[in-house]
This record gives sequence, structure tokens and C-alpha cells, in this order.
Amino acid sequence: MSVKAFELVPAVERDLLMGDKARINIECIECCGKHLYVGTNDCFIHHFLLDEVTSSKGKLSYSAQKLLHKYLGLKKPVAELRAASALERLIVLCDGIVFLVDMVTLETVPSAAGGGAKIRSVTAFCINENPVNGDPFCVEMGVLSSKRRTVQIYMVYEDRVQLVKEVTTPEQPCAVSLDGYFLCLALTTQYMILNYNTGTSQDLFPYNSEERRPIVKRISREEFLLAAPGGLGMFANAEGISQRAPVNWSESVIGAAVCFPYVVALDESFITIHSMLDQQLKQTLSFRDGHILQDFEGKVILASIKAVYVSVPLPLERQIQDLLVSHRVEEALILTEGAQRNIPKDKFQILHKRILQQAGFIHFGQLQFLEAKEHFRKGQLDVRELISLYPLLLPASSSFTRCHPPLHEFADLNHLAQGDQEKVLRCKKFLISYLGEVRSTEVANGCREDVDTALLKLYAEQDHDSLLDLLASDNACVLADSVPWLEKYHKYFALGLLYHYHGQDSAALQLWIRVVDGDLQDSTRSDLYEYIVDFLCSSSNLDLVWNYADWALRKDPTTGVHIFTKRPGRKDLPELNPDDVITYLGKDSQALILYLEHLVLERRIQKEKFHTHLAVMYLEKVLSLLSESSPDEVQLTEARGRLQALLRESSLYRVQLLLGKMENCEQLLLERATLHGKLEEHDKALHILVHKLRDFPSAEAFCIWASSCRDSEYRQQLFHLLLGVYLDGSLPANAQAAARGGTGELEMAAVDLLNRHGEVFDAVQVLRMLPEGWSLQLLRPFLGRAVRASMHSCRTSQIALGLAHSENLQLLHDRLKERKKPIFVSKKKGCHLCHNTFSEPAVVCLPGGVPVHTHCVAQRVTDSPTKRQLTNSSNHT
Amino acid sequence: MPDKMKRPDVKLVLLGDMNVGKTSLLHRYMERKFKETVSTVGGAFFLKQWGPYNISIWDTAGREQFHGLGSMYCRGAAAVILTYDVTNWQSLAELEERFLSLTDTANHDCIYAIVGNKADLTDPKAHLSRTSDGQPEDQTECEEERTEPQVLSACPTPPASPASLSGVMLHKQVTHEDAVALYGRILRYKGLDEKSSLPAEKVCFETSAKTGYNVDALFETMFDLVLPSILRKRHENQESPTVDLEDSQGAHSRKARIGCC
Repeated sequence: MSVKAFELVPAVERDLLMGDKARINIECIECCGKHLYVGTNDCFIHHFLLDEVTSSKGKLSYSAQKLLHKYLGLKKPVAELRAASALERLIVLCDGIVFLVDMVTLETVPSAAGGGAKIRSVTAFCINENPVNGDPFCVEMGVLSSKRRTVQIYMVYEDRVQLVKEVTTPEQPCAVSLDGYFLCLALTTQYMILNYNTGTSQDLFPYNSEERRPIVKRISREEFLLAAPGGLGMFANAEGISQRAPVNWSESVIGAAVCFPYVVALDESFITIHSMLDQQLKQTLSFRDGHILQDFEGKVILASIKAVYVSVPLPLERQIQDLLVSHRVEEALILTEGAQRNIPKDKFQILHKRILQQAGFIHFGQLQFLEAKEHFRKGQLDVRELISLYPLLLPASSSFTRCHPPLHEFADLNHLAQGDQEKVLRCKKFLISYLGEVRSTEVANGCREDVDTALLKLYAEQDHDSLLDLLASDNACVLADSVPWLEKYHKYFALGLLYHYHGQDSAALQLWIRVVDGDLQDSTRSDLYEYIVDFLCSSSNLDLVWNYADWALRKDPTTGVHIFTKRPGRKDLPELNPDDVITYLGKDSQALILYLEHLVLERRIQKEKFHTHLAVMYLEKVLSLLSESSPDEVQLTEARGRLQALLRESSLYRVQLLLGKMENCEQLLLERATLHGKLEEHDKALHILVHKLRDFPSAEAFCIWASSCRDSEYRQQLFHLLLGVYLDGSLPANAQAAARGGTGELEMAAVDLLNRHGEVFDAVQVLRMLPEGWSLQLLRPFLGRAVRASMHSCRTSQIALGLAHSENLQLLHDRLKERKKPIFVSKKKGCHLCHNTFSEPAVVCLPGGVPVHTHCVAQRVTDSPTKRQLTNSSNHT
Repeated sequence: MPDKMKRPDVKLVLLGDMNVGKTSLLHRYMERKFKETVSTVGGAFFLKQWGPYNISIWDTAGREQFHGLGSMYCRGAAAVILTYDVTNWQSLAELEERFLSLTDTANHDCIYAIVGNKADLTDPKAHLSRTSDGQPEDQTECEEERTEPQVLSACPTPPASPASLSGVMLHKQVTHEDAVALYGRILRYKGLDEKSSLPAEKVCFETSAKTGYNVDALFETMFDLVLPSILRKRHENQESPTVDLEDSQGAHSRKARIGCC
């Protein structure tokens, strides 16, 4: 309740109208432009000129100037007055008679020659404000007669009235209103709509007109407002349908009018104002002795018995603002939207948006964020209005100023929350979600920097996870403004990302390095060091890489070298020259090894330089480990393993160089053997393995490795060589070796070799090599296998022979079958070559089964220039 | 365009004795809540956007005082929802005695639904909220909220006793079969053939505005059933010679612009 929609302004005071005459009452009023006519119970018409006066404070008042008053001479009250301004006539109902008076002189118009200007026995009349007749100089009037149950339609001219239609009604009508062809009537027991043109009628609803005074008020085209039972104001259109919900008046309502969007009604002591939009009672004005309420050209005029007042509507915007001030958001919006058709379109849009925005802020102030958001969205709020509520969020560079007049009453968030930190927090959370939603929409157009910077600040302050997402993606955060903010909240990692986004990678790296080094505190990423390495790894700025790789390597060479080794091979990234990297890494052997490994083992670059370098590095590592007083066995084994693997796998390194480097090192015999193997100096290699290392499994493995890419003959050769080495070592140096107890060992190695790899050897050759004295038992596995292998191969070849033979037979059989037909040779048949008859059974068959003489064929073969040999001769009979 | 200003395509009217829960049903459907309502004065209407159509739903006053207005509300209605209270036999009888004649002004092809409200008082299954949004209802809402203010002394509904909360069900005075039988009589009253009309099982509902049971089903079924009516009305409007001034205004101004350039 209590919207201030109307103000009651006195128009004609009692003094002006009747002075001190107590018996005189106002009976009816009519207003036409500035002219106000008042009919009284003593049969007078008073004519006033009503002027609107606006005070300096904007307050409206009326000044009434009495122009004339005229006695009509009937001694009865003036019941009704209606102006027909086009005719300059007032239509007067007095003492049951309707007649015309001049609007200016108030003189009764005498009847014209053609017809009367008076209608008698009239109880009520109404003017058609939407006449069907197009003549501007006549007025259509509906008249209720006291004599008959009819409604008469008259045309009123300047000096006469003319009956044009008369329709009967089922009951006595007591009130009427007219629109187009439609009469809206209050009958004794009901309301009805009657089309006077077609005569069709439509009952509306029952109403006891004797009990309560009916109201029939035309409110717009083909729509009427009626007093209904139970003090309702019902709306009904010409079709008899109610298109608006009723308003709830009091039972004793006297008069009603519509002043969109309000229904103004008068009862004995109050003026009530309902909204047609939501049917709610909006305002109640106390008004004693209320008598008349009528609207004239949109102006609602009321009269008590003694005085006249104008009900002045307050400007719509003022009403809306009042509603907003009292936080009645929905009502304000309904009012705004309801007024749409009364306001020019462009003006309405501006107003509507503004109201929506204000409504949004009211909801916001009440922490009703869902509603607030919806209103902000609909009202297309400049999001900076909202951001500016939060102190310091807008960047200093922002050109934004709050709109004037302000959309809300809040100075800032602290003012809104009144120091309630929980409220502040909720507001901040709302802004986070709101900005997050709008930043990628058109709402943020033109203020993307402000939005993103504000969001960044909020994220940083609230320790929000999305801070990094914001910075890692496309954003418009203002650097100058964000830096101090991020520093304040120790978001150095994020700040680095921001620097990076703005192309200041160097600044970002310096910052991050300080975090890693512990100068600054930011726990965003525990793996920041790895992140930096990763960052450098994929940086396209090589100077940056060279500058900061040093720090990274110092921190941790193993990970630091990833800068070079993990560099993705993308087109947009410039390549690093391996030679430069090697030179750069020169001082750091650990990193260098990793890098060379990356080149050689991962990227498999086939360059002698890298392979040799890596091999040398490996070797140096091994040597340095060896030179320690008590070398770490695990490390040593691992280092040697790598060295050995490289020496074995690669064939690009410079063997002689390496061999030279380890010439004097008696601990690296295995490596030396491998190198000799690379040089194909297998005897030297085996010599080392067998005699120096006495590592027989390695010797065997060497043979297998060295012959791995060769044919079996080569392998056999190697194994024979090894056997030779074993046997040579045991035979001539018998005495000396025996002294060391090694002869037996070598012999055993030879035996094992034979027994294990017997299949590689040529058994015959081996038997020749073996010393006479060896027992058969010793070589039994070897010999057994050799005999079996020999037997096996013998049998296999026999089988192969047999199979080949049978295949041959099979083919012969097939061939014969192909020919099928026997070849007949008889004494009567002649040879195709010499045409002589056959005398003996031996013949030669030509292809096609043609028998010829043997000698004829021989003859032909020797004669033939091609010297073709016929091989497939046979002699079948 | 605000809701209130939209022109409704079709009209749906809720009729029934006072206190059967017409306003509550509508409120439950529109606002998804069961709220304390006061006795409806005169009538109220809501506009529901259903797909591309606007459906106006009229909530009428059940009080005898406003009875005369009923036939006006029903004029041109495409569907009428006759509402009774399952715990009150008289409320069903009233439908036939008082309210059926009001529907004479409705469209000739008007659809009638018979709805027994307050099913939660007699039927345990109606306690399960069947609202589509699935929000659990606040069961602490108590009985005072249910009963409408007793405007007249002859209140047909006994106020629901607190016993109903503790699981003791009230006696169900009106069965589904009674409603189906009434539907048959309505068809006969309208002179409609039972075979060519909608089957009773499609238009007889038992609902609970309090728990939301069957409420969405009721309204959505009705909306679907009136769609043909809307389409026909739109079709008629297209053929009518009436010029929509609001529409043509835009066209005129456009022409005018072209003309002056």
C-alpha cells in the first residue's frame, strides 16, 4: 500500500460557489478544457475558468475564476451536465428534461424549426465517446426514459435533437454507457450489453440495482467498468468477457474512473486507488462527503457536496521512484511495464532499463543475488556500476563514473554491509560469479579491462582457484593496476603469468626465481622450479633461455637440462644449435652428459662428434670414479654399464681415441675388448677377455655380440678363434699355466664352450684341434650333439631327397595324365616327317602326340636352324 | 513485453465451491509453493506462457456472494477445471448444482476437468511431492495455513485436524468413481456423446496443492488439450478482416521512412 499516485488539489472552494448559503449542494459537474461547469440543487449552472498554477517548488494548484452563473428556471436540481464542445452546447438534464444551453452564455437554446431541442421523461443519459456516426458536428447520446423500458439513441445537433433508434430492454434500465453500437446497461437485476444496431444482447452478471447504485463506466474502446456484488469493480468488454481481474472496492462505492494504470473509486469517506495491473489497492485518500467522481479528458475531478477537487496524478517516474525507495521492486516494475503504451518507445526503453537496474541494486542491497542478477541482465546494467561499489576494484585508468542520478543509495560495499564482514564476503562472491559470467558476453563490451581487472583483484583477494585460469586464458587485465594488488596478496606466480601475458617474460622469470629461491613467499605451486624449466623449455625467446638456463642448471642440473632436452620440436619455436648447447653446458659435466645422451640416445643423431664426446664423457666419469680411493660400487657399475652399452651399440665414435684413453687402465679391460672388437681385432679382444679378465661368459657373449650382424660362418670363425685361444692358452704354456692352476680352467672353459655352443662349431675341425688326451666323457655332450646334428642333417637331406623324388614322380604322373590319350603306332601309319611307314616300335613322339621316326627327329634337329633340342622323348606304344 | 500486457490466446477457468483450494492449486502451479491464501475476492487471473502461447488462467471466487460473476468468467473459456474437496461430499454436489450451469457461456468445445483436491488428507501416496522441480516441501507448514479464513459460518470443509499430520487419514468422502460419474453426467448435460468426448480417466484428477501431488500433471494436461483450440483461434484471427493497429503501426512508420529518404 501507500503509493502516492494521486494528490487531491482543491479546484473550486465552497466560498466561490455558494458563499454562506447552507442549503446549496453540488449536483453535477462537467469539465471541458479549462472550463468547469457546476450544476447545483437550486437549478443553477456555474461556469468557472480553471487555471493550473505550478509553484516554484513544482507543486500544482488550481485557481478558479468564476465567469458566469445562470438560473435555469426549473426549481429542480441540475441532475447532469455534458459538454458538446464542437457544438458549443451543454446538454443538461434537469427535472427529467434534457435540453441544450449555450456553453458561453448559458442561455437555453430555443427549438429550431425542424424539430425540438428537448427530450422529456429522462432518467439518465450518456454521450457516445466512440460514435459510429462520423459527423463531427453532432453528438450521439443514449437516453433512458422513465416511462418505457427502452433506450433511445439521439443525435444532438447545435439546435435540435433527433431520435435515431429505440431499443427495448427486458427490464427497466437505470444506468447506461455507450461505445460504438454497444450499450452497457444496468437493469433492475442485472447488467447487460446491448448492440443497438443488431439488437443482440449479452447478459453480464446479476446485480440488484435497487439495493446498490450501479456503476456503468466506459473506460476504453468497448470496455466497461461495472460495480459488482460484494463491492467489486468488474471489467467487461463488449463481448461480455472480463479481460482483467476485478478490483476490490468497498460496498458503498459511488463513482469510479480509470486513470491508467489506476482505477480511482469514490465511496462515502474515501478515495481508493487500485492498480489495474495487479489489482492491488495502492492508495487511499480520505475524502468526506464525497459525491461525484468523474474523469474528463484524462483528468479525474471529484466533488463533495460543497466543493470541487482535482485528483492530480503524480508523474509516473516519481511514483516508480517512490516505490523503489520503499523497496517495492516488483510493483515498480509492473507499473513501469504497465505504462509502456503511455510513454514513447525510446523513452520507455531508457526508463525501463533504469528501473530494472535500480531494482537490481535494491535486490542486491538485500543480498537477493539471483533476482539482482536477473534485473541487471534485463536492464543491461553497465557492469562497472556494480564494480564501482567495491572499493579499489576498478583500475585507476578506468574512465568510468557512476551514472547520475545514482542508481542506488550505497556509497560503497562497506556502507551497504554496515561493517558486517560476512555480508561483504557474500557480495564479493556474488560479484565473482557475476563477472565470471558476463566477462565473455556483450555486457563487458567496451569495459573488458575494467571487468577483468576487477575479477583478477577479487580472485586474488579471495584466494580463488580461477585466478590462474583467468590469467592463463585470454584476458584484458590492466598490468599497472594488477601488479601491486597481486603483490599485496603474494600471488607472485599469478603475477608472473600476467607478466608473461603482457610479453614480459623476463620480469615473470625474475619473479618466479625469487619465489623458488625463497626471497618471496607464494605457495601456489610447489613445483615452481619445474614450471620455470618447462617455461624456458618452450620459450621462443632464446636470449631468455640462455640467460636463465644458468640459474636452472645451478639449481638442479638434472632437471635444468630439460630446458634443452625437452624442448618441443614445434615450428614456431626456434631450434637450439646442439653445438652451442654443448659449449654452454661445457662446465657442467652432469648436464652435458644428459644433453649428449638426449642427442645420441633419444634423438639418435648420427654424428661422430656427439658419440665420441659422449663416450669420452662416460669414460671420464668412470675414470674419475675409479680414481677415488674407495669408489662407490653401485655408481661405478652403473657408469661402466652405460659406457659399455654405448661402446657396444654405437659404431660412430672414434675407437682409437677411446682406446688410447684407456690404454693404461687395467680396470677397463672389458671396454677395451669391446673396442678391439669394434676394430675387428677379435684375437686381441678375446685375448684380453680370456687371459687378462678370465671372464669366459663375457668372451662367449663377445663372440655372439661381435657376430650378431654377420652370417653363421663368421660366427663359427669367431667361436673357433675363441676355442683356439682357450686351447692355445692351455697347451704351450703348460708349465707356467699349470703353476697358476689355470690350465684346467681354460680347458674347462673350452669344454664348456663346446658343450654349450656345439652347434656353432664344425665338429670335424674341432676334433682335429682338440688335444689327444681328452676323455670322451668330457666332451660327451658336444660330441653327442655333434653326432646327432650330423645324423640329423644326413637324414634331413635324405628326406629332402626322397621328397624331391616323389615330387618329381608326382609331376611326371600329372603330365602323363594331362596327355591321357595313348599314341598308336602301327605299320599302316606313316611318319609325319618322312611319310614312310613305321617298321619298329621305338618312335619319337612330337608334342601333340604325333609319332615320328627316331631318325627323322634326329635329322630334323640337326637341320633345324634353332638347334632346338627335344628332350622329352619317350617311347610309348 | 511484460506478462500482464500480453494478449492471452486461450482462457482456462477454475470453478468450485469455496475452500476447495482453487487458489492454492493455481498458486502451487505458478509459484511452486503452498502458501496461505485468503478467500478470493471476485476473481484473479494469471498468464502462463506455454510454449509460444499465452494461456490465461482465471481463479474464481467460490463464495456464494460472487456466484453471479461465474458465467462471465466462463464466457469464451476453452477449458473449465471443476474443483472439489475429496473430504467433502457436498463440494462435489455443489459442482453439479451450482457451477455446472455457469459453464453454459463457455466455448461449445470447452474441455471439462474434474479435480479432487486435498488428496494428501486421505491418500498417503499424495504425500509424495510430485512437483517437477523436485524440491522437497517444507512439511512444517501447519494446518492453519491450509484452511482459508472462515468467511461464512456455513463452512463446508471441516478444518483439517492435526491428526492428518501424524498419519491418521481423514475419511475420503468422494471417490474417484464419483468424479467419473459426475463427468458422465456433465457430458450428458452438455449433450455430448461420451464416445467422441475425452475419456474420464484423462480429465479426472486427484491432486494436492499442499504437496504438489498431480498438480503439474493437471495443468499441463489441460494446456495440451486446449492447444487445438488455440490453433483454431489463431487461424480464425488470421482470416478476420480486423487490422491490428499495433502491428501495422510499425509497418507504416517504416514505409514513411522509406518515403522521405
